[in-house]
Amino acid sequence: MTRTRTRWWLYVVLVLGLVAMVMPFVWMILGSFKTTAEIRQYPTNFWPIDPTLDNYAQLFGRLDFTAFFTNSIIVAFFVTAGNIVFSSMVGYALAKLEFRGKKLLFAVVLSTLMVPGVVTFVPLFVLTANLGLVNSYPGLILPFLITPLGVFLMRQFMLSLPDDIIEAARIDGAGEWRIFLRVIMPLCGPAVATLTILTFLGSWNNFLWPLVVATTEDKYTLPVALALYSVGQNAAQYGLMMAGAVVVVVPVLLIFVVLQRYFVQGIALTGIK
Amino acid sequence: MNRWRSHRPLRRVAMAGAVVAASAIVLTGCGRGDGGGGGDAESKGAINDEPATGTVEIWAMGNEGELLSELAAKFEEENPDVTIDVTAVPWDGAHDRIATAIAGGKTPDISMLGTTWVGEFGATGAFEPTPEGLVDEGDFFDGSWNTAVVDGVAYGVPWYVDTRVLYYRTDLAEAAGVEAPETWEELTSFVTALQGQGATSGLSLPPGGFDSWQSISPFAWQQGGDILDPDGETFTLDSPAWQEAFEYYASFFEEGLAEPVRLEGGELEQKFISGELGAFYSGPWHTGILLDQGGPEFADKFALSVVPGADSRTSFTGGGNLAVFDEAANRDAAWKFVRWLTEPETQVAWYEIAAVMPSVEAAWEAEAFTDDPYLSVFGEQLLDAKAPPAIPTWAQVSAVIDQELEKVTRGETSVEDALATMQSQAESIGTGF
Repeated sequence: MTRTRTRWWLYVVLVLGLVAMVMPFVWMILGSFKTTAEIRQYPTNFWPIDPTLDNYAQLFGRLDFTAFFTNSIIVAFFVTAGNIVFSSMVGYALAKLEFRGKKLLFAVVLSTLMVPGVVTFVPLFVLTANLGLVNSYPGLILPFLITPLGVFLMRQFMLSLPDDIIEAARIDGAGEWRIFLRVIMPLCGPAVATLTILTFLGSWNNFLWPLVVATTEDKYTLPVALALYSVGQNAAQYGLMMAGAVVVVVPVLLIFVVLQRYFVQGIALTGIK
Repeated sequence: MNRWRSHRPLRRVAMAGAVVAASAIVLTGCGRGDGGGGGDAESKGAINDEPATGTVEIWAMGNEGELLSELAAKFEEENPDVTIDVTAVPWDGAHDRIATAIAGGKTPDISMLGTTWVGEFGATGAFEPTPEGLVDEGDFFDGSWNTAVVDGVAYGVPWYVDTRVLYYRTDLAEAAGVEAPETWEELTSFVTALQGQGATSGLSLPPGGFDSWQSISPFAWQQGGDILDPDGETFTLDSPAWQEAFEYYASFFEEGLAEPVRLEGGELEQKFISGELGAFYSGPWHTGILLDQGGPEFADKFALSVVPGADSRTSFTGGGNLAVFDEAANRDAAWKFVRWLTEPETQVAWYEIAAVMPSVEAAWEAEAFTDDPYLSVFGEQLLDAKAPPAIPTWAQVSAVIDQELEKVTRGETSVEDALATMQSQAESIGTGF
C-alpha cells in the first residue's frame, strides 16, 4: 500500500519534470509550422491557427541547406572519429601503461580543461591562419580532433577495467596494439558511446569557430547558416529559426536514441557527464 | 554595440561573448608590430578613374550580405575585369569574426561594419584611411559621416543609414484633439492625451539596460549637450544638458506615462496595434512590421513624426559603414567599389533591392523617398541626427550610461549621483586614444 503511494507521487514528479523538459521542444516543433507574425502575436496560441510549411520550403528552397548540412556532417564525423581514436589511445596510456612523467602528463591534460575557450580562441585562430588552413575542412576539424575531456573520460573508464585481463593477454603473447584494439576497446562500449554523443553534439552545435574560420559561405556549417538567415539585424524570423532548429536537432536525437543505453551506463560508470 | 538590436534578448548573450573576445583582440591587435595604440595606418594614395580589375572580397552582414551580389553584378557589368566576392556573415558573431580576422591577419578587402564598431577597430590600425578625393564628405549626412571618423581620420564611408522617429496612433491623437508634438512640453501633454484615450501607456521608453543610451542621448543632444566636448577629449556627461535629459526621461516613469518595462520584440508591436501603447521611438523597419501585422486597415491608424525636441529635434542615427582593410590584397578595386556604392544612383538601386536608406543626401531626391509618407519623415529626420563618438571605448562607456539610467528610472539613485558616477567612470575608462 505504502509502496503504491510512493510510486504514485514519483510519477507525478517525473511527469512534471518531463513536461518541463519537453515543452520547449514541442513549442519549437509547433512554432516551425507557424508564420513569424503568428509567433509574435500576443496572446500567443499554442497550436498553429493556420499551419504552414513555408518555413521548411524556404529552408530547403531558398537556402543551400544541403551544402550546409553536408559541411556539418563532414566536420562532426571527423571530429567524433578523431576523438574516439585519439582520446582512447591517450586515455589507455594514462590508465594502464607505466612510463615516466605519466602523472605530470595527466596533470597537464587536466589543466587544459580549466582554460576557458575564449582565452585560446584568438591564438588558435592565428595558428590556423599561419598554417594556411583558414576556410578549409582541416581548419574546421583539426583543433577538435582530441579534447582533454575525452581523454579524461576514457582514462576514468579504463581505470575500472581489471589489469588481469591485460596481463592474461600479454601471457598469451598479444602485442600492445593487439591488447588495445582487441581486448580493451571492445570493453569500452559505454565510454565510447558517451564520447560519441558529447563530441558529436559539441561539434554539431559549434558556432563561433566555424563562423570565424569558414570565411566563405560554401564552408558554413548549419549553426552559422541558420544565424545568417534567420536572425536579421532588427527582427528575427522566428518561424524559419524554429524550422531550422528542428532540422538541426534531428540527427542529434537519432544518435542519442541509438546510443542512449550505453550513454547512461557510461555516465554511471565514469562518474562524469 | 551595433545599433538597434536592443529588443532581442539573444543579443545580450552574444554581446557578453563579444566583449570578452574583443578585449582579447584589442591586446592582440596592438601586438601586430605596427606600434599599436592608435590608428596609424596611412592612406596609400588617391584612387584613379580607370575600371576596377581583379577580385574584391567583401563581407556584409545578414540581409545585406545575402542581397549584395545582386547589386554587385551591376558593378561587374560596368567593370568587366572585376569580380566581387560577397560573403554573407551573420549579425550574431560578426563583430567577433572581424576582430579575430584582424588579429589573425586574414581580413577580406572590404567589410561592412556596424557604425559603433568603427572606433574600436579603427584604433587597431586595421583600416586604411579613406583616400583623399575618393568621396565628398559633404555629400553624406553629417551625423552619419561622423560615424566613420576616428580621432580626426575617416576610415571608410557610411553605406546606409537608419534613424529613429516617433511612431504614434493617429486615431487616438485625433480623438484627443492633439497633434504630433514638436517640443518636450507638447510631448508630455501629447502622450498624456493618448493615455486619456484608453492607452495604458502613452509612450514606450526602455527604462535602462542594454543599448538604452540610444534612447537617452538624443534628449541631451536636443539641448545642445553632447557626450564629449568639441575637442573630443573630455567627457561631458555631468553637464546641465544631461541633467535635464535624465530628469525629463525619468518624468515619464514618475508620472506613469511610460511603463517601467522593456518591451521585447513582438510585444511592442502588439501593444501598439491593440491600442495599449500610444507612441514609441523606432527605426524604419517597424513600418513594415506594423503594416504586416496590423493588417491593411491599420495603415490609417498610425503615423510617423520627426522627434520632438528642445533647441533642436535631434535623433539618433546608426547604420552600416564600409571600410577597406589596411592589408587588402586588391586595394584599388576595393576603394573603387566603395566609391561606386556611394553614388546616388547606386544608393537608390540598393534601396530598391535591400530596403535600407541611403547615406548620401542626393539619393533622397528620388521619388521613392519623397513620395513615401513614412520614408519622407526619415529623410527629414536624417538632416538632424547624431551618432555617438567613434571612440574605441564606447562599448564600455555606453554600458555605464545604460546602467545608471536604469537606476534613475527605478528611483534607486538621484539624477545628480547617476551623472556623477557616469562622468567619473567614463573619465577613468577614457576615450581610448
